[in-house]
Parts: sequence; C-alpha cells; structure tokens
Amino acid sequence: MTATIGYSSVLVALLLALWGIIAPIIGSRTGRERFFASTRAAILGQFLLVTLASSSLIYALVTTDFSIKYVAFNTTRATPIYYRVTGLWGALEGSLLLWEWILIIFSGLVAWIYKDRHRELMPWVLMILSTVSAFFLAVIAFASNPFESVFPVPLDGRGLNPLLEDANMITHPPLLYAGFVGLTVPYAFAMAALIIGKLDEAWIVTTRRWTLTAWFFLTMGNLVGAWWSYHVLGWGGYWAWDPVENAAFMPWLPATAFLHSVQVQERRRMLKVWNLSLIIIAFSLTIFGTFLTRSGILSSIHAFSSGPVGTVFLAFLSFVLLGSFGLLAYRADHLKGQPELDSMVSRESAFLLNNVVLVSALFTIFLGTIFPLISEAVVGVQVSVGAPYFNSVTVPLFLLLVFLMGVGPMIAWRMASWDNLKRNFLWPAVASLLCALVLFVWKIRDFLPLLGFTLLAFVVFSILFDTALAVRARHRLAGEGIFSALATLARRNQRRYGGLIVHLGIVLIVLGIAGSMGYSVEREATLQLGEALTVGRYHVQFEGLRGSQQPTHYRVEAAFRVFNQGHELGVLSPALKFFPNQQSPVGRAVFRSTLAEDIYLILSGFSELQQNRATLKVLLRPLLAWLWFGGLVIVFGTIVAIWPFRQKGRGWRMEDGG
Amino acid sequence: MTRRRRFVIGGIIIVGALTYLIYGGMRQAMVYFVTPSELKGQETPAKDRFLRMGGMVVMGSLQKDLKNLTYQFQITDGVATIPVHFRGIPPDLFSEGKGAVVEGRIGKDGIFTASTIMAKHAEEYSPPEPGKASYPNSFTPGQEEKRP
Repeated sequence: MTATIGYSSVLVALLLALWGIIAPIIGSRTGRERFFASTRAAILGQFLLVTLASSSLIYALVTTDFSIKYVAFNTTRATPIYYRVTGLWGALEGSLLLWEWILIIFSGLVAWIYKDRHRELMPWVLMILSTVSAFFLAVIAFASNPFESVFPVPLDGRGLNPLLEDANMITHPPLLYAGFVGLTVPYAFAMAALIIGKLDEAWIVTTRRWTLTAWFFLTMGNLVGAWWSYHVLGWGGYWAWDPVENAAFMPWLPATAFLHSVQVQERRRMLKVWNLSLIIIAFSLTIFGTFLTRSGILSSIHAFSSGPVGTVFLAFLSFVLLGSFGLLAYRADHLKGQPELDSMVSRESAFLLNNVVLVSALFTIFLGTIFPLISEAVVGVQVSVGAPYFNSVTVPLFLLLVFLMGVGPMIAWRMASWDNLKRNFLWPAVASLLCALVLFVWKIRDFLPLLGFTLLAFVVFSILFDTALAVRARHRLAGEGIFSALATLARRNQRRYGGLIVHLGIVLIVLGIAGSMGYSVEREATLQLGEALTVGRYHVQFEGLRGSQQPTHYRVEAAFRVFNQGHELGVLSPALKFFPNQQSPVGRAVFRSTLAEDIYLILSGFSELQQNRATLKVLLRPLLAWLWFGGLVIVFGTIVAIWPFRQKGRGWRMEDGG
Repeated sequence: MTRRRRFVIGGIIIVGALTYLIYGGMRQAMVYFVTPSELKGQETPAKDRFLRMGGMVVMGSLQKDLKNLTYQFQITDGVATIPVHFRGIPPDLFSEGKGAVVEGRIGKDGIFTASTIMAKHAEEYSPPEPGKASYPNSFTPGQEEKRP
C-alpha cells in the first residue's frame, strides 16, 4: 500500500514535470498567460507529490515494511529509529529520491518567492527546473525504483552498512545534495536568461544568495564528509582523493570561481560568457559526480553497485552540456561588447587570476580522476594516478590561491595605484615576512610548508589590517568603539565582511591541512600486555582487551593509557566491531584532539582475548583541529554575508545581497 | 594589438605552467595496473616502475610475522603466480582466497615488495547466516574466516 502511494506519486509528479516543460513553450507560441501560470502550478504540484513519495518511503523504513526491497536491504528490526530514517539515503534508490526531494523543495521555494517578480524570466526558470526534476523522476520511476517489492517478504532486513551508522551520516549526504541542487537554481536562471535573450546582470543579482547558499552547503558537505572519514573510517586521514570525493569536490571549484567572477560582472559588466560557462560547468559537474558514483566505472569505497543508472546520467550529462553550450553559442551576439581589463594590477585581474587558478585546479583534478578511463581507451593499459599526483599538482595552485586571497579583497578596482598598493600591503607583507623569519628560526625550514605558513600569515594580516583601518576611520568619524564599529561595518557591507570572515575560515582549513599533511607521524606495532610504544612525545601503553556484546554487534576494545611527556592523558580504547551480517569487522578508531596536535589510535588486530596481544597503529596529526574550526568560521562568515539584517519589516528578499 | 599579444603571452605562460605541473605530477604518481601473467611475460615495459598488481591471494601461501608485522604471500591470476612481501597492516578484508590489489615494485629476484595492500571490497553485504554467532576470540587482519 505504502509502495503504491509512493510509486504512483512519482509517476504523477513525472507527468506534471513534463507539463512544466511543455507549458512555457505553448505559452510563448500562443501568448496566453495561463500557460505560464500553470508552470508554477506544475512545480508546486511536484513539490507536494514528491514530498508524499519521500514520506511514504520514510514511513515504510520506520515501520520496517520489508515487502519493499529497499527497506529490506537497508534496515533491520534492531535498527534504531533515526538510522531507519537515514536509510532514505543509505543506498542508491533512496538517495536519488532524496536528491529529487531537495531539488523540488528548492524549486518550490523559487516558484513561491518570485511569484510576482521577473514575469518574463520565471516561466523559463521553472521550465529548466522542471526538466531537471523530470529527469530525476524518470530515473526513479524506471531505472532505480525505491518502491520495488520483494517476494517472499523477508522476516528481517539486511541492514545498513554499519559504517553509515554514524551521526555524521545523518548530515553529510543531505548537505552535499543541498549543495549540488542549490547550483541548479543559478543554472536555471542563467539558462532562462539565455532563452529569452535578456543577458544583463538581472539573473546574477537575483541568484546571488542562492549561489552563496549552494556554495555553503557544498563546503559543509565536503567538510562533514572529511570529518566522517577521519572520525569513522578509521584510517586516520580525512581526504584520499578518491574518485567520489573528487566528484563532490569538483563542483566546489567552479562554484567558488563563480562567486568571485560575478562580482566583476556586477561591477564592470565583464566576463559575461565566462560566468555563464562557469555555472553550466558547475551544474554539469553535479550530474557528472552522480554518474561517476553510480556507474561503477571507477572503483571507490563510496560507489554503490553498478546498474543502468550510470548510462542514463551520462546521457543526461551530454544533453545538458550540448544544450547549454549550444544556447550560449546561439546567443553569442548578445554577449559581446564587454570592456577589457584596464590594468593587470587591479581587483578584476586578481579575480580573473583566481578564476584561472580555480579552473586549472578543476582541470587537473578532473584529469586525474578520469585518467584510468583515458589510458584504458587510448593505450589499452589501465594507468591510475594516486594521491601523490593530486597533492603535487594542487598544492602549488592552492598556495597561489591563498596568496590571491590576501590580495584580491584589498586591491583597488580598475587600476591600483602605487599608493594603494603601499597603503594596503606594505605592513601585512612586512608582518608576514617577520612571521616567516620566526618560523625559520623555529626550525620550520622545508620550502613548501614555510611558504604556505607565510602566505597564510599574509592573508590574515592583510584582512586584519584592512579591517583595522576601516574601524579607525569609523572611530574618528562617528566616535564608535571598536566592537560597535565592527558591527556597523559588517552590517553596512555584509558581503564584503562575510567574505573576509569566510577567507579567515579557509586560512584555518589550509593551516590544518598543511600541518597534518606536512608533519604527520605514523607508527605501528604489536604489543604485549603492559608493553608501550613511543611516538614523538607520546608514550602509549597497552592495558588489555575487553569484549562485550552490544545490541547490534560484538565489540572488542583494547585499552591504551596515553602519556604526553610523562603527563597522563587518560585511557583511549580503539575497538573492532563485529556485525553478524558483515564479513569483516568495522574498526572504531579513537583520538584525542588538541589545538596543537591530534593523537589517533587504530586497533588493527588482536590475538586471543585471554592472551592480551594487540596490533596498534598510532598517528600524530599536527594542527588538524584547525581544519574543523575553520569550518565553523565559514558558517559564521556565511551567516554574516547572507543574513537579511537590513530587511527588517520589509520581509525576506532573496536578491538583496548587501 | 599589444593588449591582445599580452593576453596570448599570459595564456601561454599559464598553459605551460599547468602542463609542467601535470606532467611532473603524472611522472611521479603514475601507477600501472598489471596482472601477474603480464608481469611474468617478458615484453612488459613497466617492469621497473611503480606498479599496482591485482589478483587472488593463493590459499595456504600466507605467512605472517605479527611481531614485525611482515606478511609473505602469493598472488595469482590463475595463470602466473608472483610472491609478495609486505610490511605493515593489511586492510580488514585481506585474506587467503580473496581478491587483493598490491602496490609496489618487483625486484630482480622476482619478489614483489608491496607498500600498500588494497582488499577488494564486497559490494553487497551478505545476509546473516542462521546460527553463525559472532564472538570473536581473536582477530588478525586477513584471518576473519577463522573466527568462530
């Protein structure tokens, strides 16, 4: 019954989506307003139906309705209720439904918020959204149906992959999907602008907050994914340049580039074609990512089992790329006549360079990710490139980006004068060089880390220096104190100060990555009871094994007493969890985190509970905590940038970006 | 036209730098994927390169020294068999009779010295077998079958 309700909602929603594609075309041919109005109704109808379908699946999961195959595969009677709900995105079929659900929520919001505005643009925006929605609904209905029944009905289900039974898994996929889907909104506006040929800055200004919101979700999705990897996967790392991680990260690069380059278009009416291309690429990469994940053409720990879904996504991807760039070429004559750069030393050229670097990073990561496919096709040998390739190629690019982060927001538009450069950058440069000197004396002498830390210092100093100048000006002008001056500045220019805070967050993230990449230590050993392993300043003493039966699994813990230079930190107990449904155990690593360093313990084996012998791996990851802290700073910065402070009493308006 | 020329020069510099980066990164990190029989064959050009070799761990070939964390075993593709030496901790799913991918170099003595072992993950999770309780008394990576 639940399955019937869910599946028929999907089918009817698909019909509405198809109507949403056709109606604007009929409307523009016949000139009848009501066809345009019905586009909106089609979106809202889809919203209700897809919500109903998703709710049915959640209901089936919660009530463990094992007559539905998806439920039988992803829950058991013993599964706690919140993991039954998260079973919605535990496997392919459900996660596609979740994607469609988020997409249609966003589309519904667009239809509702712009009810009376952009009369010319909106029908086409909604048509593009309906097209994307129709694709997902068709995939759900015909290629990967989450409501498929199973017979005979099993007594108990198979259960979720135990690695997914973690609180971060509750947030990671929805965040990432919200990021992917969020990019659909600016993409739809861009396409609509191309269709009606009105290529001023309206679509960019309108979608400003959407783009920033999508970017924020993408960033958070990736960070939570890294956190999950570090916290749960138990290998002590947070990023492996795995194809699926790359698939989630790649859209972030053009999205970040877009956030910067649209400011150049708003300000100087330059880069029109470039901005359209960036948003097309960003959107296409979200589809490409799903293709990569679901097709099974590249092996990855994240990959779901293969099926026809991959091919369908590839077809849709080709359709999107051909259609979008075809439309762009068709409208090429509307996009001419942009003024050129006045000077290489200006904010627009800093932003342009930032874009070039981001797109280069995208290109290198893309190439590395699909390299096994290229080599297989061209020379018939499978050649893959691993993490060393990605690290060696992207580190210089990202360092250049860090440098630009210190320059871009402070340098003048059009043409920076020598005075402007001296005023904004002399002191930050001097201060960061002093920093470099201190680090050098403090025995940080490898070139890349030294350069990295110096550039990070430069960014921080240039942001602080610029803000300090502005605060001083307000203090003199209005007699405000430091904090109220800061608050006024941030409220008057939300985008700028929000952006600067986000930059500080990025600085912290890069700091965490640099420290944990450049200075990590790993040791492994098999220890007898009472034996100790010394790693750096730490002394890790084995205190015995303990086995216990848990509700869903059997757990073996090894207790280790950890000392830092003789000072006791306490007992850390990494564990192995044995699930009855699984072939091999799941490790549960533990770590102790401080701002200076993480110590991370992995139990990789043990022999004879009675004999008390354990194989242990210890990792030291300096500065890693700053990476997560940087994520929080980005949350704060994004809130500062998009919070509707100034609209008090005027309602919420998406387009006032501040 | 000087402006145009400047852009062209800038473009060439960027593309050149990027090509250099990619080329350097690839040279350093390219991993050839081979099978044991390809490696036994004479004509493989990849012999002294960093390799990734896939196959099955031969039943009964696994010898391990837990104190020093060294593992010796053989990998086969059904046609040829290559001995492998490894020091470290293999992944949870690594065991005899299962698929594995090893990364490393092959020496002149024909022994493959692996720096990494990757086990083939089973994509589907097997349903529970009735009566198969899970009270592990010991666990060493690669031996999970022996669990009671």
